[in-house]
Amino acid sequence: MGKADPAVPVIPISYGRTQVIETGKWSSLKPQPLTMIAPCREACPIGTDIPLFLHFIERGRYAEALSAVLKENPFPGVCGRVWFHPCEASCNRAQYDEPVSIQMLERFVSSIKPEPVSLIPAPNQAPQRIAVIGAGPAGLSCAYFLALLGHYATVFEAKKEPGGVMRWGIPRFRLPKPVLKKEIGRILSLGVQLRTNCRVGKDITFEELDKFDAVFLSPGAGINSLLSIEGENLEGVWNGGEFLERINALEKVRLGKTTVVIGGGNTAMDVARAALRLGSKVTIAYRRTREAMPAIPDEIHEAEEEGVAFQYLLQPVKIRRIRGKKLRVTFQCMKSGAPDKSNRPRVLPVKGKYVTLEADSVISAVGEIVDLSWIPEKLVKNGLVETGGDPRIFAGGDAVAQPRTIADAIAAAKRAAISMDLLFRGNQGREALAGFRAGTKGSVSLDAYLRFREEGKWPEAKEVVSDGRINTLYFEKSRRVVAGKLQRDKRRKTYREVNLAPDEARAVYSASRCYSCGQCNACYNCFYFCPEGAIAINRDERTRTVDLAHCKGCGTCARACPRNAVIMKDMV
Amino acid sequence: MRNLRAGLPKKCRDHEGYGMKEFLSGNDAVAHAVKLCRTPLIAAYPITPQTSIYERLSGWEASGQLKGIMMRTESEHSAMASCIAASLTGVRTFTATSSQGLALMHEMLHFAAGCRTPIVMVNVNRIISAPWGFWADHLDSLSQRDTGWMQFYCENGQEALDTVIQAYKIAEQVYLPAMIATDAFFVSHFVEPVDVPDQEQVDAFLPPLDLPHRFDVDKPGFLMPVVTSEFYRHYKNAASTAMDSVQELAEQVDEEFRRKFGRGYGVVESLLTDDAEVVVVTEGSMTSTARVAIGDLRQEGIKVGLLKLRLFRPFPVRAVHKALCGKKKIAVIDRNCSVGGGGIFCQELKAALFHSKDHPGIYSYIAGVGGTDITPDVIRRIALKTLESSIPADAPEWIMNDEA
Repeated sequence: MGKADPAVPVIPISYGRTQVIETGKWSSLKPQPLTMIAPCREACPIGTDIPLFLHFIERGRYAEALSAVLKENPFPGVCGRVWFHPCEASCNRAQYDEPVSIQMLERFVSSIKPEPVSLIPAPNQAPQRIAVIGAGPAGLSCAYFLALLGHYATVFEAKKEPGGVMRWGIPRFRLPKPVLKKEIGRILSLGVQLRTNCRVGKDITFEELDKFDAVFLSPGAGINSLLSIEGENLEGVWNGGEFLERINALEKVRLGKTTVVIGGGNTAMDVARAALRLGSKVTIAYRRTREAMPAIPDEIHEAEEEGVAFQYLLQPVKIRRIRGKKLRVTFQCMKSGAPDKSNRPRVLPVKGKYVTLEADSVISAVGEIVDLSWIPEKLVKNGLVETGGDPRIFAGGDAVAQPRTIADAIAAAKRAAISMDLLFRGNQGREALAGFRAGTKGSVSLDAYLRFREEGKWPEAKEVVSDGRINTLYFEKSRRVVAGKLQRDKRRKTYREVNLAPDEARAVYSASRCYSCGQCNACYNCFYFCPEGAIAINRDERTRTVDLAHCKGCGTCARACPRNAVIMKDMV
Repeated sequence: MRNLRAGLPKKCRDHEGYGMKEFLSGNDAVAHAVKLCRTPLIAAYPITPQTSIYERLSGWEASGQLKGIMMRTESEHSAMASCIAASLTGVRTFTATSSQGLALMHEMLHFAAGCRTPIVMVNVNRIISAPWGFWADHLDSLSQRDTGWMQFYCENGQEALDTVIQAYKIAEQVYLPAMIATDAFFVSHFVEPVDVPDQEQVDAFLPPLDLPHRFDVDKPGFLMPVVTSEFYRHYKNAASTAMDSVQELAEQVDEEFRRKFGRGYGVVESLLTDDAEVVVVTEGSMTSTARVAIGDLRQEGIKVGLLKLRLFRPFPVRAVHKALCGKKKIAVIDRNCSVGGGGIFCQELKAALFHSKDHPGIYSYIAGVGGTDITPDVIRRIALKTLESSIPADAPEWIMNDEA
């Protein structure tokens, strides 16, 4: 500006800022930047923060994506493959075009190489020792969560290797074993002690577990239900668990040219598809209708694709060997009746009507039961483990009354681990868990619990974002991304994984389809629309700061937020 | 063009050694002036009949002949706002507009004056709607009378070119904006021989600008914040004082221009007024016609004189006194009508002459409104009618027929 020249007229210029006028004080309505619960997260029994890890994938921040997943789930590689992903069914985007491919993305993030995350247990002043019985999905998860909470877990496993159903049940073409090995390795890297070939009740007594501060029972359901019919013990008649175990142990198995599989659950599907790969022609015989089959629809579909034949409404009554060679299974024909307790149609025999199927091998896969021989009677109820009385004993997985899925096993393990930690801290009530729920369907968040433990504040209950609260005007319709599958004719000859890995570009695009319901993903809409320039956004942390001294409470940000992550609140 | 030039008398081709004259429209003449003034910031929006100024400057920008920035703004309001901001950073600025465009600028015209920015603008006088039309009428610029801008009304393209150059020199000394008015088509599009001065001559008369940087992009501020009543009064008073000095300054600058370029105009021009029984007062292009009509009347022995008003803001009260006091009658021709108030130039003259003891009888005529022709005969009729009248009427007389 230089020296003032008297010939130059002075004009009014203010170098002050209009910020001195605190227009924000003129109103009491203020925006509340929130983080709400997305319906996918609520539907996930494990409570994984799905919008968060999808956001990180979209931004190429894979380490953070994997971290976000591992905060809640030790088995993303497993869950990204072998579970029926209810998250996708509840995805709000399904109401608009097609749901986001969440499972595919979980698999993608679990397979980033090299592993970008090293886990660190939370500090714990008073670590406790916990015995975990059974190294299946529940047991290993419980040990994992306990380790993250800073405790010492020792896992007792009867078999020679850990993994339970993931190791011995699910075949390689659905879950390659290196994936499982990596995820178990991650758990063990946290300092979890594993004692294999150690069966409680045989190698150590149940009473010996008393020296631990708490016990988690997760023995699984390892005994195959019997058909209880004539000929069940003939040579060439297998039970499904034993068959899959031998397949997974890479033992040589001969089935012959034709195989009949009895059952309609996931085990029956795995058995049938494994038998197919041994060169056998496979027929599944199920006593109910297709609609009533408990197997995951995708698995049924894949079995069909590969050439498994299905016959419904057939109840086996006897198995005989004919001409000294083939096996002949006689089935009672059934018909549908009124629904039963599980809301499936009851099936009734059609009097006098029978059919027979002939095969070289017969494999029964009609359910699994729990081996309770080693457990004190007071912990047994209705053929399952029930911990009711003893506050130091917890249980989860297929041995307790809960859905027999891997995700439910992991979820039960998490609830148990948090409950134990609360117990050790003198917080007895198991209802305290409600404070860490993700939604209203029972999922709990370890991350929320850890933050509570650090900060000592109970988290506020968060609402679930319903579809109607998404501003879909901001989203273009698009198709869901589907990863490829192995060619059909190749599948019959190989144990290679059927579902192929998604490539990075497709994964990133797929993640970008996420609405991010109720969670800021730094889209900057509020920032651009705010007429006062009163919103600051930290892109990396996804935090929004409202300058309350200048926010006039117009509500534009709340209206402009596509994902319902801002609401207006009267502060008076 | 060459053929046309070849047919011109030598006087037109070679004007006292100042180079070859060119056949130019008034708008082209204005564009030449802007280029000669080395105006680095031109912000404009096209509007008939001003557009060819904009086109010509854009063409030169595209060919690299015009050094500087042509801002294509989305409206005249923005064009003026851009000029204000640029001017405050110390550069010379120019814009051109007409009629509705000028009306749209109105708010910013006050800001330009209030910010004391020496912006130069050419307004090609076009009727202001409604009804819609494109022809010459002074009401558009006269409607901006009170915005604090200087106003010059030019008779032809040469005068427009010269006045642009003079206006920068005046404006940059008093820090007030200047509007140069030219009649639609009669000036803007009529092609006449125009002497385009050499660049060196203009540079010598109007050196490259070094205005103080009152607004510094590196030290941003908020221009024209709310001020107190007392401050407002102070600023208005200062602007008024500055404007009051313009008449004398304009005369000096015109005199200097005359010395250097051989042409001058004065703030008013008196012609044959010494013995005149009636003085016809004109503005803009009608003056040329009046020169012919009055010449004819004089040949008939009728004592008619002419006063051309060139400067309208500030109103050249002293010059008008000097030219008109002691005369018997004046006939003021207004190419505008302030409905309910009559001709605006006449109002101004009445106000200016009111305190003089020997002021003439003032006869008001409204002619040429809407771009209708002011023919020599119209002027003749006005002169004769004024001669015959004994008492001036309060209301103006409308000339509704171009022919007798």
